[in-house]
Amino acid sequence: MKCPPFEYHRATSVDDAVAALVAADDEGKILAGGQSLVPVLALRLARPAALVDVNRVPGLDELAVRDGVLRAGALVRHAALAGQTLHPLAAAAARYIGHAAIRSRGTVAGSLAHADPAAELPAVLRACDGAVHVAGPDGSRRVSADTLFRGALQTDLGDHEVITAVELPRPDAWGFAEFARRHGDFAVVSVAAARFGDRVRVVVGGVAGVPHLVTADAVDPGDVEGVAAAVADDVDPASDLHGSAAYRRALTRELTRRALGDLTGAASPAPVPEPA
Amino acid sequence: MTAAEHRPATGTAVRRKEDARLLTGRGRYVSDLVLPRMRHVAFVRSPIAHARLTEVDASGALEVDGVHAVFTGEHPALAAVALRAQSALPGYVETDQPPLARGKVRFAGEAVAAVVADDRYLAEDGAEAVVVDYDPLEPTVCAWTDPADVTDPVHDEAPDNLLLSRTFRAGDVEAALAAADVVVDRELTTNRHGGNPIECRAGVARYEAADRRLTFWSGTQVPHLVRTQLAELLDLPVGNIRVIAPDVGGGFGVKAVLYPEDVALCLIAIATPGVPLKWVEDRVEHLLAATHARDHRYVLRAGFAADGALLAVRADVWCNTGAYSVYPWTAGIEPLMAGGLLTGPYKLEHYECTVRGVATNTSPSGPYRGVARPSTVFAMEALLDSGARALDMDPIALRRRNLILPADIPYRMPSRLVDDSGAYEACLDRAVEVFDVDRWRAEQARRRDAGEKPVGIGVGIYNELTGLGRAASAGPRMPFRTGHDACTVRVNPDGAVTVFSGVTSQGQGLETTMAQVVADALGVDYDAVDVRIGDTDESLWGFGAFSSRQAVIGGGASHLAGAHVRDKVLELAGALREVDVADLDLRAGQVHVRGQEKPIISLSEVARVAYLQSDRLPEGFEPGLEGTKFYDPIRGAFAAGAQLAAIEFDPATGAVRILDWVCVEDAGTIVHPVIVDGQIAGSIAQGIGGAMYEHLVYDEAGNLSTGTLLDYLMPTSGEIPELRIDHVSVPAANPTGVRGVGEGGTLAPNAVVAGALVDALGVEVDDLPVTPSCVWELLHGGGDR
Repeated sequence: MKCPPFEYHRATSVDDAVAALVAADDEGKILAGGQSLVPVLALRLARPAALVDVNRVPGLDELAVRDGVLRAGALVRHAALAGQTLHPLAAAAARYIGHAAIRSRGTVAGSLAHADPAAELPAVLRACDGAVHVAGPDGSRRVSADTLFRGALQTDLGDHEVITAVELPRPDAWGFAEFARRHGDFAVVSVAAARFGDRVRVVVGGVAGVPHLVTADAVDPGDVEGVAAAVADDVDPASDLHGSAAYRRALTRELTRRALGDLTGAASPAPVPEPA
Repeated sequence: MTAAEHRPATGTAVRRKEDARLLTGRGRYVSDLVLPRMRHVAFVRSPIAHARLTEVDASGALEVDGVHAVFTGEHPALAAVALRAQSALPGYVETDQPPLARGKVRFAGEAVAAVVADDRYLAEDGAEAVVVDYDPLEPTVCAWTDPADVTDPVHDEAPDNLLLSRTFRAGDVEAALAAADVVVDRELTTNRHGGNPIECRAGVARYEAADRRLTFWSGTQVPHLVRTQLAELLDLPVGNIRVIAPDVGGGFGVKAVLYPEDVALCLIAIATPGVPLKWVEDRVEHLLAATHARDHRYVLRAGFAADGALLAVRADVWCNTGAYSVYPWTAGIEPLMAGGLLTGPYKLEHYECTVRGVATNTSPSGPYRGVARPSTVFAMEALLDSGARALDMDPIALRRRNLILPADIPYRMPSRLVDDSGAYEACLDRAVEVFDVDRWRAEQARRRDAGEKPVGIGVGIYNELTGLGRAASAGPRMPFRTGHDACTVRVNPDGAVTVFSGVTSQGQGLETTMAQVVADALGVDYDAVDVRIGDTDESLWGFGAFSSRQAVIGGGASHLAGAHVRDKVLELAGALREVDVADLDLRAGQVHVRGQEKPIISLSEVARVAYLQSDRLPEGFEPGLEGTKFYDPIRGAFAAGAQLAAIEFDPATGAVRILDWVCVEDAGTIVHPVIVDGQIAGSIAQGIGGAMYEHLVYDEAGNLSTGTLLDYLMPTSGEIPELRIDHVSVPAANPTGVRGVGEGGTLAPNAVVAGALVDALGVEVDDLPVTPSCVWELLHGGGDR
């Protein structure tokens, strides 16, 4: 379990990181928190020719709300997201990520770029209809959650692109529920629910290659059972070591029920007022 | 401190000798070892479960910068050597295990070649560049496959893959079942899992050609056994081999095995004299190729009388022994233990049990904490739970009806093992009291009425055969008998004490325990005793750490050696001071005339005379002050234990949540209370891991599906509840009165979790582990709702 050989480049700016990726042809990989990448390297499941380390790039650690949107720079760690109060859904979900050591190193942007379908933050990004800002050789662009995730561990990002920031709109109400085998494990199934005005977005993680989105009209407490059943009907999970398709469908229903219970009930914490 | 205030170290939670080292990150593990000119080894491992090896092409690897050599099983340095686990049991089929695969591979993960390079990264680069041609054969993965379906046996010597079979018989099972009021049947499987110590296997081998000396630093639990076995395998005199087990980060039985990788490393070191070779196993290798355990099937029938008396048990048992008969313990290690101890702490007259060790194309099975009994206790307690349901009896009452009681001791079990404990009911009584069964029964009823998540009570009672002496052979008649250990106690010229004990430690504090025993037997302060272990050039003999033997046997030897040297000290002191030795006593390093406060001479002065002042040595005394003693308990010490837990099950998600867990064990005399409780807590945690999380899963082709800790789930502190541990202390008939305590905790959790499930939900679980999806499938029939 030792990495194969690679070139190492410590980027000094976003432009420098992009240039290093271009120089590596399509063999470069961004190193941020390393919590997904390093194990994959050690198992020799990936063998990039060059690692472009962005940890020393200045200006990527912003974490602030503007116009109802939480903006997290590419170097914001899970621990910072878990500890903030500006976006309670993101904070609640981030607390489910791994253990303290993992949350201290792993980055929000890195989790989204890795795009594990059972990870918490891709589900939250999609539930909030968020987006990532991406820099590349042709300038920067904004990629919405609905187009970012292409499949398990596959995104819309090009080989020479790097995420610079994450946008997470603040929902009016929210709920998050997850079932994992152990504390800190990837979810067997997770559900993030967010209400914006009279629309509710329910996103299920762990049941497909990408976080699975179901939208609904505003739910009252009385609608919860029906929506949970509809979401469970809408997913098409596969069976694996941790559970059959039928079990995952049942978990989807139960966790949707719990997330929507929080979203519709008094338990859903009101958003913290935007700082002046 | 005055002599009158001197208290024995035994029974006190003295500060552990190991703490300064292990708690401050200054442990000395094999991985830490750096030697001049040292090179690193990586193994090329088979990705295929069963195949003929047609060609191993190392040319590409040899072109990698920093790679020095590649060895295969056919290399002249290795070609003549095979590990062959021997047993005189009738019908046992002996087979060879090559240090590196020869001719064919028998499991995915078997080492095919070894690459020697400047560092481990380069060695892995080289390993990747070795090209191996495999000609696939049909793999066998499941041990209860119909033998008629075996087309390509694992070993030619065993065409049906059966390496061993034995039937235990007592009484007349047919007649007893026919006379029973209630007969219950169960078919159970237990999940393959393994020890997974935090430090994986590791070794450094160095050979000096000039004097033909081999030094092998190894994270082994059994350094003296390893030395003896290496001498045979490598054709070296035993005295030319030094095996050193420094600090070792956990063993749990996995490191009580001499592995082909160990032998390959030593053979390659001999082929490259003067160049130390280091191999540190990584977790992927460990999950693939270190020994596994507990992959069993039990087909059971039990008969009960209307009053709950257990009348008869019939059992058919299959144990998956994996691809090789584990060296040196043989394929018999699990099946024979299963048949010998299945009936546990229950009285039984009519018993018939056929056990089988079946070779498959999976990693070899070997010793793992509790050896087979976590499975057999699950099987036995499942029968009792089924019997209680059929008879509509309280499960605890049914158990009480059948326990071996003090009046029955010594009790000859139907497998003819002799039980000397009888503390089962005392453990159960205490556990029921601490756990407060009535409180949990009330909570169970309250939840049922309120429609809250159901809670179940699980029970597991067990006996643990510890400290096996020469006569208590549960082993499979191997060429060695593991009854004894030695200990040397040396009083140094300054009066301080160095102990050379044959025990080994993988984190269980044996330096501390041995120091306590010697301090009390000799009559010195605990702080005056220093203990050396794990080096075959220092200690005379010890079989090592397995079957909960070291506190009993190594402790017995330490006690005898300490007492022997105490006698020497008193004799010399008496002669020096012209006092009758019968009147003398040694306490806290001072020799007293009994009943007198003021010492007549100090131990340090006696020692100074013994080593440095021969002019003062009385007539007839030899210089020096040390002694060596062996101890063999002849039989063993049965330890008793009972565990009770309250476990909540969520019908919606299958989530399993432990609300309370109580364990009461009879550890006999307790030398160090915190170490003993730590052993029990750690073993229960491993038992819970096996019951609820840990599962090594192979697919039908023999590929390990759980190859990293992402899929092989070990419990963390977040999953293990607060454990409530209590004791019944019945001293055993050995010099220190201790009973082994290293394994007992692992025995009950399978039974407890499964028993709680049936108690809470009324569904019986036949296949472990008890996972959330398993609970959900049992409740919802597995169909899509």
